[in-house]
Amino acid sequence: MDTLLNVAHGFGVALAPINLLYCFIGVFIGTLVGVLPGIGPISAMSLLLPVTLSGTPESGIIMMAGIYYGSMYGGSTTSILVNIPGEAASVVTCLDGHQMAKQGRAGPALGISAFGSFIAGTFALVALMLVAPKLASVAIAFGPAEYFSLMVLGLVVLTFLTQGSMAKALLMACIGVVLGLIGLDSITAQPRLTFGRMELIDGIGLVPVVMGLFGVAEVLLNTEQVIKRDIINAKITHLLPSREDWKASAGPMGRGTILGFFLGILPGGGAVVASFASYALEKRLSKTPQRFGNGAIEGVAGPEAANNAAAGGAFIPLMTLGIPPNVVMALLLGAFVIHGLQPGPLMITQNPGLFWGIIASMYIGNLMLLVLNLPMIGMWVQLLKLPYNILFPLIILFTIIGVYCSSNNVFDVYVMIAFGVIGYFMRKLGYEPAPLVLAFVLGPMMENNLRKSLILSQGDLSTFVTRPISAVCLAFAVVLLVAPLLPALRRKREMVALDEGA
Amino acid sequence: MSDQPSVRFKLNNSELWGGLIGLALGIFVIRSGLKLKLGTIHDPGSGFVLFYTGILMCVFAAAIIVASLTEGGPTFGTRWKDARWTKPVIVIVCLTVFAVALEWAGFLLSSITLVLLLMRLIDPVRWPLAVPISILVPTGMWWLLKHGLGILLPSGIFGIG
Amino acid sequence: MFQRSHLKIALAAAAMLVSAAAGAQDYPTKPITLIVPWPAGGSTDISMRAIAERASKELGQPIAVDNKAGGGGTVGPATMAASAKPDGYTIAQIPITVFRLPLMQEVSWDPAKDFSYIVHLTGYTFGVTTSAEGPFKTWKDVIDYAKANPGKVTYATPGTGTSLHVGMEQIAAMAGIKLTQVPFKGGAETNAAVLGQHTMLQADSTGWKPLVDAGKLRLLMVWTAVRSPNYPDAPTLKELGYPMVYDSPFGIAGPKGMDPKIVAKLHDAFKKAVEDPAVIATLAKYDMVPNYKNTEDYKKFVVEVTDSERKVIDSLGLAKK
Repeated sequence: MDTLLNVAHGFGVALAPINLLYCFIGVFIGTLVGVLPGIGPISAMSLLLPVTLSGTPESGIIMMAGIYYGSMYGGSTTSILVNIPGEAASVVTCLDGHQMAKQGRAGPALGISAFGSFIAGTFALVALMLVAPKLASVAIAFGPAEYFSLMVLGLVVLTFLTQGSMAKALLMACIGVVLGLIGLDSITAQPRLTFGRMELIDGIGLVPVVMGLFGVAEVLLNTEQVIKRDIINAKITHLLPSREDWKASAGPMGRGTILGFFLGILPGGGAVVASFASYALEKRLSKTPQRFGNGAIEGVAGPEAANNAAAGGAFIPLMTLGIPPNVVMALLLGAFVIHGLQPGPLMITQNPGLFWGIIASMYIGNLMLLVLNLPMIGMWVQLLKLPYNILFPLIILFTIIGVYCSSNNVFDVYVMIAFGVIGYFMRKLGYEPAPLVLAFVLGPMMENNLRKSLILSQGDLSTFVTRPISAVCLAFAVVLLVAPLLPALRRKREMVALDEGA
Repeated sequence: MSDQPSVRFKLNNSELWGGLIGLALGIFVIRSGLKLKLGTIHDPGSGFVLFYTGILMCVFAAAIIVASLTEGGPTFGTRWKDARWTKPVIVIVCLTVFAVALEWAGFLLSSITLVLLLMRLIDPVRWPLAVPISILVPTGMWWLLKHGLGILLPSGIFGIG
Repeated sequence: MFQRSHLKIALAAAAMLVSAAAGAQDYPTKPITLIVPWPAGGSTDISMRAIAERASKELGQPIAVDNKAGGGGTVGPATMAASAKPDGYTIAQIPITVFRLPLMQEVSWDPAKDFSYIVHLTGYTFGVTTSAEGPFKTWKDVIDYAKANPGKVTYATPGTGTSLHVGMEQIAAMAGIKLTQVPFKGGAETNAAVLGQHTMLQADSTGWKPLVDAGKLRLLMVWTAVRSPNYPDAPTLKELGYPMVYDSPFGIAGPKGMDPKIVAKLHDAFKKAVEDPAVIATLAKYDMVPNYKNTEDYKKFVVEVTDSERKVIDSLGLAKK
């Protein structure tokens, strides 16, 4: 009953005209920065933080939150249309989303990702209202050993399910880890693998790597083809998902939402692992795994739902413990404090109007996003009707702008070109970029947590198997690694492999 | 892959070369790890994870090499069959020149030139279409970023943009 | 035709000269990046955001905070020293580890040469906490346990070589116990580690405040000269028998070779910021007080701190071989 009263109170705050306006501005800017690959919510939020200080704390934070989840919606657009993931979590959307676009099904792909985002976002909010305080313990149950094992599981899940040749996928994952470790060591501040180059002290950025391996490499592969001039099938069947699409997507969406919500609670890397894990799970559960990678709508619905549910889950450690699980949440925390509020265990009771107002505004914002995004699908699909010789220079232009804006550095443009060439040869020789990207993101976290857990256990490796959560993660990882050795499973994996090679 | 001719003990076996490159990278990573110090198991050093990742890389690369020798693999020729390999080279050259010129010439000039070149050099777009697109799209993007999001792109020595 | 292109080049060159000269006059004409070498959401991050927000009003350009955590707060300044232009558009918070770590190991920067020090701002209140559900009620419990189990007591710090690490090692040496340090990247991470009881203790600046207030963490001691008015029950180091005070003062700096005019502009803006009552109120939330020093005094202070740190590091046997 208390909750209901609070929710009603929250909607009272959120529906105030000024807050509605701020909410709309927030989600609008969020959609804009989300669609532009490379320009994430972080830069937009840092620049707009001062603007939000002029109003009440509620309006300011409602707008900041709007930018955050607005950008989550837009993030998948370029992945589906032109195979450019705007952030690590949308890498997995490229795999099937872009294939769907190539088959003329960009509309349903975009549609299901918008609806998936909305449904997952709504569920995450309801869950946030009902169980937020109880789930705070999940966020802190993960120590260094647990994180290490979770990262290992994340890597193994991906390599097992996205590649034909396991050795190639694992090699790519290793290379990703090494690339991720370039720069100053996070524990001792020693430069590693920088070759004396000042630009490498800060490490290699994720944006140029992803843009190169996916965006530029895809363009290179397409330009060398003579026969397949129409890369993207101009015949567009449906604008919105059909009844069959909905049927196929319902399960993946539900599972993706739950997976995403729980992994999103974990500080660091939760959303990325969630989207990959959801994809792997759906492929494993599917009766026709060979369709994955060839435009299976389940492969878009699951990860997109997971991604957005994780964005909701991420509010739990911030609101209940004052621990921000990612940089965007930390920016929100900063906004709270500058407004004179302290997120933490006492915030919900001390400032119920604010807490419930933000939650309610997020619900309204999600609705606005759906209304804002659905009509845009038609526009995006029209864009694909452009002949490829006009489209690809524009794709290149987009990647350049994204890379340059993410760091204001020409060096990153060179990095992108280099990874474009590397990605081209990788694809030619049958090596997939997805394991590399995931390992690139998880590698540094894995290393840092491995070292911390060894210090904690005083060099005792058994810490990874005696701690229950860690042991469960590792057990899953081992099962996935050993499974292909069993003949029955081997056949199934080769079927998967065949489809990847095609 | 089954319809492609596959070779085993030939130098143009592309799988073999992929594995060899992986092996070389692995050895390099192991050496870098050793140089950065492994530390102890109680307090792992900067090179600890690099060293073991390098060993794993060598193992996986070796597996690829063994597979390429026992099962064979497609040649470079078949991988690049029907491919106009000059086109990707042109794209890369254009991009590199663009990156070199970006800060000097400014975003607007260099990107308009880049888009125009790419439209004309790969599968030529008609001039009446190529010119307006290559001017309007970069200018529009630049305007949106500058006035909509407050993000500045390099203006170059001519101060355009 | 020929002449015209010459003219163009000359004009362009002239324009460049003018714009270079105008650089210091017009500064700032675009957003400034402030590197905060700690994870977002910690006490440094939030206090620096509050200060930067106020300073940006003085400068008329937004200041974007960039969190580059790691290496006990040295990864950010080291990156800036190595790769940023000294144009005043990239500046960094300089924690004391920037001076201390070079005494302990090989590093890529030289604190005496690689930075243009701008202004000294404030300092921290440090404290040692433990989970409220844990066995330790007072610092004496920790000592007793550590004496019975040498090396088994783990404590989370924001990085190797931070004042928290060095301070804890000094305490351990005086008390005759052995503790194990686990280096995290900053307050947001150490909070989670001690809350989840992954480490037994947390030694960090006041990022633990909301959790202590809510009764989730127990504050065992503070490292200030006198007890904090917010936590009258927490004893100081001196009261516990360790004659030390740790506050790790910090300021901001840019890469070496900055135009003195730009330094002066930044100095004035940040000075105004730490004098603003609203900023002081935000700092007070984390038990921090402004500790203003101008550019010259800050430079002198750097030399003094390096000398005094050298003595401490030598006495603990942490100096680089």
